[in-house]
Amino acid sequence: MIIGVNNLVKRYGELLAVDHLSFSVKEGEIFGLLGPNGSGKTTVINCILSLLDYDKGEIEIFGKVMSPDAYHIKRDIGIVMQNIAVYNELTVYGNIDYFCGLYINDKALRKKLVEEAIEFTGLSEFTKFYPKKLSGGLLRRLNIACGIAHKPKLIILDEPTVAVDPQSRNKILERIRKLNEQGSTVVYTSHYMEEVEQICTRIMILDRGKAIATGTKDELKAMISLGEKITVESFAITKQQLSDLRKLPGIVSVDYRENKLVIKSGKGKNNLESVLEFFKREKIQFGKIFSELPTLNDVFLEITGKELRD
Amino acid sequence: MFTHIFFNRLKCLLRDKMTIFWTMVFPLLLATFYQLAFSNLTANEKFQPVNIAVVDDENWDKNENFRQVLKDVSTAEDNLFNLQVISYDEAEKLLQNNKISGYIIVDEPIKLVVSKSDINQSIVKSFIDIYMQNYSAFDRILSENPAMLKQLTNNTGKRQTFVYETAFPGGKPNFVVNYFYSLIAMACFYGGFLGMREINEIQANISSVAARVNVAPVHKMKAFLSSSAASLLVQYCEMLILLSYMTFILGVSFGNKFGYILITTLIGSIAGLSFGAFISALAKKTEGVKSAILILTTMVCSFLSGMMQQSIKYSISRNVPFLSWINPLNLLTDSFYCLYYYDTLSRYAINIVVIIAFILIFSTTTYFILRRRKYASL
Repeated sequence: MIIGVNNLVKRYGELLAVDHLSFSVKEGEIFGLLGPNGSGKTTVINCILSLLDYDKGEIEIFGKVMSPDAYHIKRDIGIVMQNIAVYNELTVYGNIDYFCGLYINDKALRKKLVEEAIEFTGLSEFTKFYPKKLSGGLLRRLNIACGIAHKPKLIILDEPTVAVDPQSRNKILERIRKLNEQGSTVVYTSHYMEEVEQICTRIMILDRGKAIATGTKDELKAMISLGEKITVESFAITKQQLSDLRKLPGIVSVDYRENKLVIKSGKGKNNLESVLEFFKREKIQFGKIFSELPTLNDVFLEITGKELRD
Repeated sequence: MFTHIFFNRLKCLLRDKMTIFWTMVFPLLLATFYQLAFSNLTANEKFQPVNIAVVDDENWDKNENFRQVLKDVSTAEDNLFNLQVISYDEAEKLLQNNKISGYIIVDEPIKLVVSKSDINQSIVKSFIDIYMQNYSAFDRILSENPAMLKQLTNNTGKRQTFVYETAFPGGKPNFVVNYFYSLIAMACFYGGFLGMREINEIQANISSVAARVNVAPVHKMKAFLSSSAASLLVQYCEMLILLSYMTFILGVSFGNKFGYILITTLIGSIAGLSFGAFISALAKKTEGVKSAILILTTMVCSFLSGMMQQSIKYSISRNVPFLSWINPLNLLTDSFYCLYYYDTLSRYAINIVVIIAFILIFSTTTYFILRRRKYASL
């Protein structure tokens, strides 16, 4: 076990930010902490890193109790903050070298690691640039390079793709997966469900400081009653036709708004064929039609009654 | 680890244009401004000979004694008068146009014509009064006892003084130096910007960079001391540049106790840094608000130590001495003042001890705030 959190409670005055949270992260995982803004993801990370004081609970990393002066533990942790944490007065190379130097004393080894981190994050062309000259995506990559240059066993990334363009985001996600392949255990927090689905091997969904579900993405989706979701673009459906649709076997709900028809099936049911047949039989004109399996947003919606991005 | 943090901090500080401006460029500009302003003041302090005229008539030609005396005081190196011998009309015209302070008509008695009563007119009047008193005394003595002529001639110009003059132990009296000393004190305390920055970059609840440093396997106090050493080096070098600029370019005098001046500047720099760190650690506000607090406090303390008006310092020392003792900038200004003027170091030593006490208070408070291992919120 890389991280063990047991019964963690953190209050900000009257607000209960983390509510008796327990979970563990196993070696080699990409563990995702998914939840809307304000759900307590960053607070949990800061408690794990011993930056924040907490009211109750135990936190262990690498099987040892984590504390602010547990330098032997900190030596093997890499952190990529949500906010860019670099010095504006140091170049790209200078920043990576500085933060790597807080972990690695050997100059030759440090040089090698810094160069590897630069290559890994694709910053080779920008080593002499100052942070102010970098684009948002490049800055995020520098932020990552500063956190991972010393090759830690555990990498914690707290919303590393906030305000990053899709192209840079994909590159960042690719690199995180590569870090994991190279042997690092990764804890990844985000409120973007697509990212978490894309890279995490196990996911914990947080809401108001509570773990509402934990498991692989398939396990999470299996927890809810929703199966297939069919969306149809149609301009003329009568009330009677909607009523008849609802009566089809396996259909859980039918919702028609602004020329968009959403048909949800129960778990394990596939209704695309029967829906198409119904449209043909009733001679209903339609544009696009597509079928989706449930997403993590659907999981969140079913458990909490609200959208993940609320 | 110490050298790694130290040298990287040096790089950061030397590239931080805003901090360098406030801690070095601004005091240099202010010193230059002071020099420009005060050079005129000191020029005005130098005695200027009084422009006078004497009416060129028969009496003037006849009164050889007075003519000789007036000529002597108008032609010597430190001449009292700029004398013109002209006609009555010309003298009257010059007086009307304020070209002369007055004109003399040699008569019995000698007359002085002025258009107003001022210091220059008083000088001319005093001169004429003294001349007439001496002339009258000599005339009476010689008429009663002509044998006294030789003795009188020997004693002419001799004065019995009851005030003894001794050599001044320190520098020459100079009312301007205090302005520059208070400026140095202000510059030392502007080093607080560096101390403030050090705290901002070690307190995880203030900046992301600090949070990253806090999760690294480096002791927080060790990291803080390493970077503070870099800040102190930068601050002290800036202060030496300021001192050199004042001494060699502006010609400000600091006396001859150079070693003490360097030590005082170093102590002032430490006081400034620790003050900035203290403000930053204590005030749970944004960086902008903290900078404003630092600038405001420094400016108020500078004002009270006589940076804008010298008399303020003396007025506070006389009427509210307690305020003088709790103002570290005043103590620093006074330390330079003591080194310049005083032969002994007792008052200087007291000032330095109180400044060191301030440093201890600032540092200890900062330490207790910094040593917090975890934060309630970030």
